[in-house]
Amino acid sequence: MNGNVFDGLKVAEFAWVIVGPATSRYLAEHGATVVKIESHKRLDTMRGTSPFANNKPTVDSSMAYGRHNPNKYSVSIDLQHPNGKKLAWKLIHWADIVTESFSPGTMEKWGLGYEDVRKLRPDIIYLSSSMQGRGGPHSSYAGYGMNAVNLCGFTEVSGWRDKRPAAPHGAYTDYINARFNALALVAALDYRRRTGKGQWIEQSQFETSLHFFAPPLMDYQINGRIMGRDGNRYPQAAPHGVFPCQGNDNWIAIAVLNEEQWRNFCQAIGQPHLAGRKEYATLPQRKKNEDELEKLVGDWTRCLTPEEAEKLLQKAGVPSHIVAKPKDVYEDIQLRERHYFVPIEHPVMGRQSYEPQSSFILSKTPRRIKRPSPCLGEHNEFVFKNLLGMTDEEIAGHIADGSITTELPGQFKVSM
Amino acid sequence: MYHQEAESTLPPYRILDLTEGGCMLGGRLLADLGADVIMIEPPGGSPSRTGPHYKNVVDPEKSLFWWAYNANKRGITLDIARAEGRKLFKDLVRKSDAVLESFEPGYLDHLKLGYPDLGRIKPDIILTSITPFGQNGPKAHYQASDLTVWASGAYLYACGNPDRAPTWISFPQAGLFGGAEGAIGTMTAIWHRNNTGEGQHVDVSMQESALSPNLNILQMWDVSGVEFHRLGGALYVPSTGVQQPIYFECRDGYVMILVQGGNEPFISSSARLVKWMAEEGMAPEWLVRLNWTLDYDATTMGQPIADRVGEAVERFTLTRTKAELYEEGAIKRQILIAPVSNTKDISENLQLKSRDYWEKLDHADLDDAVVYCGPFIRMSETPLKYQRRAPLIGEHNDEIYGEELGISREKLDSLKEKRII
Repeated sequence: MNGNVFDGLKVAEFAWVIVGPATSRYLAEHGATVVKIESHKRLDTMRGTSPFANNKPTVDSSMAYGRHNPNKYSVSIDLQHPNGKKLAWKLIHWADIVTESFSPGTMEKWGLGYEDVRKLRPDIIYLSSSMQGRGGPHSSYAGYGMNAVNLCGFTEVSGWRDKRPAAPHGAYTDYINARFNALALVAALDYRRRTGKGQWIEQSQFETSLHFFAPPLMDYQINGRIMGRDGNRYPQAAPHGVFPCQGNDNWIAIAVLNEEQWRNFCQAIGQPHLAGRKEYATLPQRKKNEDELEKLVGDWTRCLTPEEAEKLLQKAGVPSHIVAKPKDVYEDIQLRERHYFVPIEHPVMGRQSYEPQSSFILSKTPRRIKRPSPCLGEHNEFVFKNLLGMTDEEIAGHIADGSITTELPGQFKVSM
Repeated sequence: MYHQEAESTLPPYRILDLTEGGCMLGGRLLADLGADVIMIEPPGGSPSRTGPHYKNVVDPEKSLFWWAYNANKRGITLDIARAEGRKLFKDLVRKSDAVLESFEPGYLDHLKLGYPDLGRIKPDIILTSITPFGQNGPKAHYQASDLTVWASGAYLYACGNPDRAPTWISFPQAGLFGGAEGAIGTMTAIWHRNNTGEGQHVDVSMQESALSPNLNILQMWDVSGVEFHRLGGALYVPSTGVQQPIYFECRDGYVMILVQGGNEPFISSSARLVKWMAEEGMAPEWLVRLNWTLDYDATTMGQPIADRVGEAVERFTLTRTKAELYEEGAIKRQILIAPVSNTKDISENLQLKSRDYWEKLDHADLDDAVVYCGPFIRMSETPLKYQRRAPLIGEHNDEIYGEELGISREKLDSLKEKRII
């Protein structure tokens, strides 16, 4: 067997919620050792987010947390406690990479900011991710993924012209940001390997996300055009949309990208004569008559299940796919072929399906999910003893003085 | 321009970029980090030179989409489908670290330019293939577009108004995810090659990256059997079925306000909002008296109170602009407000200006300098550099074929004549 790409690489993850944890998963899936620094006193929001296995909300049974953290180890430290800080420093000395995603100034306040760390570890690669970055009038703006999707422009261009915008669900930009971070980390490793130098990677999630929206921004700055929303239409294709099928809230996505596909489409729906009709003969014509065209497509799809429509259209060579619901992806034959969902036994949740974060398979060193998401503080002994070489007595001392946290300060509360 | 003297994060790894559409972002990111990325277009130009266009002039050399995702790259033309073109391509591969491509699976194999073929020419080559569903499997040859791939990831189903079809993000995203994944996969493979001398094939699935933004809704089904229903922006509380309105119309568009209770920081934020409304004489008595901890707890409240609060808040937001609500509400008063920004708002945003975000690149051929999105991340030792605008069609043919491969002037002319380049 080939080794894993990042065998021996060590990550100390102070980052929480989504962006930071999703970032380190790229490394963990390819062999890196990632230790999450958590605390019973300041729970990762995701630990309180549904769904909970067996419908029992506990600190260790959220699969929202699970989804973002397999393959990692968890320690529980009180970073406000002087002896907790000592443990954090031990982890920093151990690590190649430190990640954090608190509001700007938080790590600095704890004496764990990049400038502090750099003095003792000039070769550290330190990632800080925040919503709007350091400096500037909005730096302290409270960062929630739900805010960012609006700020970054994605909400304005989602939904229908005659309705208010329909925001993309959840924390959309978090999943953009994690990718740019992972790339920057590997590039920084490459630089360190050549020069021995570490560095500070500072992310404004706002600035990063705009790269997924760059041409419309240029269109405004050069041409003064403000992009709006238009359902599922697209200037370069018609028909192009999501059409209703038989059953409750069932849909199919169809995109006719060129004239050949248009002819194939007409064949597939049993109306080859349409291809010859003047009002639909060219893309500009189809765009002009798009309302009628969409009605005609809908009349056809409505009589079929999404699966039937997809089958007929694919056979004819027309880009199409059912609008998958969550339950559909667990049965998706393509995802099964790529072993996308990985079932693993979790000590509290039982058998759960985990997803990889990397959407790529390396032919010789493929992604791997080997361990479930950790319980809170599950690896205190393993990390402090086996990875950091501390003695049982030392660890017991930290537990006794509360710098290793072991209990929630109050009752566990579900946040979402 | 700043920091042009600093080192690059990456050495000039030679990357040949054959991708199209949003996937072109992958090579762009590697180029920003310092790689020597060469965009290879078919003679006559790439089909990805699409609109919008510079000053609305429809011209492949004025495609803003092309500019955005190919800045910092060099560009050549080459017809790899013909024998002479294939030979040139192989000559380029011999001097390269990685090849990025987004053709239908099997297309390069059919041209005898697949991973095994390239591996014979250069054993440690990395080939990164970005496709809708991956290289193998029952859907590998599905006809697909950005929208249909988006649909296959279930995230599309989660977005849009409940009474109409689910809606995508009007600027296509799936290809961009594929491109970003291609860049990470390529760098991961380069790290492995640097350690072991071994190249490999990187197989990106855009479907898989389209699953990524689902937050917890896949698990809601898998773990709890709960089906997600899109709400077009309201906040849905699964345990009660209550929808809390969080999008509000204002004078020039919309804002989101996380009007919630039950937990901090929402309780304090909502209380601060009501205080502001009261100062402006726009908070009804019952709203001032509302206990955000007890009366607006998502797990116990009912729909009528949610609707009532929503209407009262919107009466207030309608008196103000996005910018006023953001600057005074979010920044000064620490209320959880976000503007629903459009491209104009973003372009004029104070924070981006204050951090010197926007970059200008010279387009000497147009006698103009054009504003681009700034560095995708800030790196203290090796700041990302903006060195060149996207290449014109075949702009670097002479430089790369002539100077680097040593092809003679006559031979180049003949290749041009035959439309190989």
